Amino acid sequence: MATIEIVSRQRIPSGSTITLLASSVRRNRLASVGLVIIVSLSLLALLAPLISPFDPYDQDLYAVLSGPTWQHWLGTDNLGRDLLARLLYGARVSLMTGLLCTLFAAMIGIPIGLIAGYIGGVMDSVLMRITDAFLCFPPLIFILAMSAALGPGLKNVILSFAVFGWTGFARIVRGQVLLVRELPFIEAARATGVPKFRIMWRHVIPNTLAPIIVAVSITVGVAILVESGVSFLGLGVQPPTASWGKELRVGFTYLEVVPLFSLAPGVMISLTVLGFNFFGDGLRDALDPRLKGFDR
Amino acid sequence: MARYISIRLLHATMIVMILAVLVFVIARLIPGDSILAAMAGSVDMSNPAVVEKVRAEYGLNDPIYIQFLQWLSKFVRGDWGVSIGTGEQVRDMFLRRLPVTLELFLFATIWSVAIGVPAGLISALRRQSKLDFVLMTGTILGVSIPSFWEAIVLIYLLAIALPIFPPSGYVPFLENPQQNIVAMILPSFVLGTHSAGLLARYVRSSVIEVIGQDFIRTARAKGLSERSVVLLHALKPALIPVVTVFGLSWGSMLAGAFFIEIIFAIPGLGRMSVDAIFQKDFPVIQATLIAVSLNILLVNLAVDLLYGILDPRVRIG
Repeated sequence: MATIEIVSRQRIPSGSTITLLASSVRRNRLASVGLVIIVSLSLLALLAPLISPFDPYDQDLYAVLSGPTWQHWLGTDNLGRDLLARLLYGARVSLMTGLLCTLFAAMIGIPIGLIAGYIGGVMDSVLMRITDAFLCFPPLIFILAMSAALGPGLKNVILSFAVFGWTGFARIVRGQVLLVRELPFIEAARATGVPKFRIMWRHVIPNTLAPIIVAVSITVGVAILVESGVSFLGLGVQPPTASWGKELRVGFTYLEVVPLFSLAPGVMISLTVLGFNFFGDGLRDALDPRLKGFDR
Repeated sequence: MARYISIRLLHATMIVMILAVLVFVIARLIPGDSILAAMAGSVDMSNPAVVEKVRAEYGLNDPIYIQFLQWLSKFVRGDWGVSIGTGEQVRDMFLRRLPVTLELFLFATIWSVAIGVPAGLISALRRQSKLDFVLMTGTILGVSIPSFWEAIVLIYLLAIALPIFPPSGYVPFLENPQQNIVAMILPSFVLGTHSAGLLARYVRSSVIEVIGQDFIRTARAKGLSERSVVLLHALKPALIPVVTVFGLSWGSMLAGAFFIEIIFAIPGLGRMSVDAIFQKDFPVIQATLIAVSLNILLVNLAVDLLYGILDPRVRIG
């Protein structure tokens, strides 16, 4: 699992965050490619019921493990279900899980980073030590153990991911807050007596958005990898729901007969994660050229 | 230096405490009594007397903090409990499988260095070129492709389509050294390529930093060939930060071993852990989680201390 690390020497953006991001994406080839991949996959996932050639649960026991045919472009699985249809529906599961995992991880990490950075002092030391402790644990292993304890199912994967995946957000936000808090407009807000939490919400957070978006993109990629890994081992999505990781595992059993059965889901996982990583990496480079190709 | 070491040690101790609590809590998350649930197959659960006896035996009637302290004190003394699945001492199970996984890691590290260091070096020396772009994009590929898929693709290409390697299996080294190594090539390659990407990125940024320094200009000015400037003067200091990567990649390698050992049927720690997870064999899971995290913690601590010795600036910050 990739560690997320955005060095926070980033210059403070002028103009709105959205304009900045849009121009950054345009300037960076990698980020544009990533965005195209993300948008196309999201469209496929959204439109799955309309464009899917078959129902992903319809079994055709006369055409089991068929391999590619004119009717079934990618072939069928061990129960005669259309593989293309299952991959399209699997996109929904993967993207949804990726987004939810990231959302909950951000909901824990961002407030912790914000409080550590803005309040500082003892609070900062304590929160950062806890963050360090969590960074020591290999997340995938702990997520597996926790989903095993809570029982199989996507809900538990998302919960476990949130518990172990928030550290990246906390560190990025803290770094950015340390930069922003000394700026004149924050000082002005403090001087005019704006309450602490209002300053954080209205003035500090908007100025940390750009690096947060980079982190979101990379975390979604990581979460999709984790979900497919957990499903591959059999703890995530439960049958008959289609999931890329699950298909890959079942397909592996039939690798010698129909290689596409396990190879195709892997292409989907890799492509999706690649999209999010390209977007995140490219965006970071574009936001701060000094960090080009630096450690991630 | 003494102050630096003591602060590092204090941090490490705090992390170990958090770790112990966390691992204990995870085992208790399972609804009902984890031990009773796991033993339901082997013990007559309809007999209240038997249930009571098992509860007392495992200390389930004590308050939770007593249970925690007892578990911790036993664990520190080397009593890691008995596996619910096999009835074996967890420590023995662990020690028996450790060499297998360590062999896998050793080969994986060799692959990782053999691929990552040259890639990062070339990328740094040809900075902003097409080759640099291709190599650095390649490193993103390394973290985006799931290791289990890479393994399956390689099995398909090199064990089924072109039967060069065995598709899976493990032969103990003492039984047949040659077969042992042949069987380890594919699994270790998959693990190695995954940390090679990270390594290449570190080497690249580190070489770029070093190559801009005065002593490199001096080396060039006194007429050394570019080859010896790079290999003798630039690469050595540039490799120091690379120590960090080993701290970082241990964790991901262990996670990778979960999948790799399942796919290639290697009887190591990864496979033992996955089996334990499915059997809800919590003594085994707890031992693995602690061993794995302690390992990473110790590697990181060693890296920190090594840094303090190698680079005096670190001690102050």
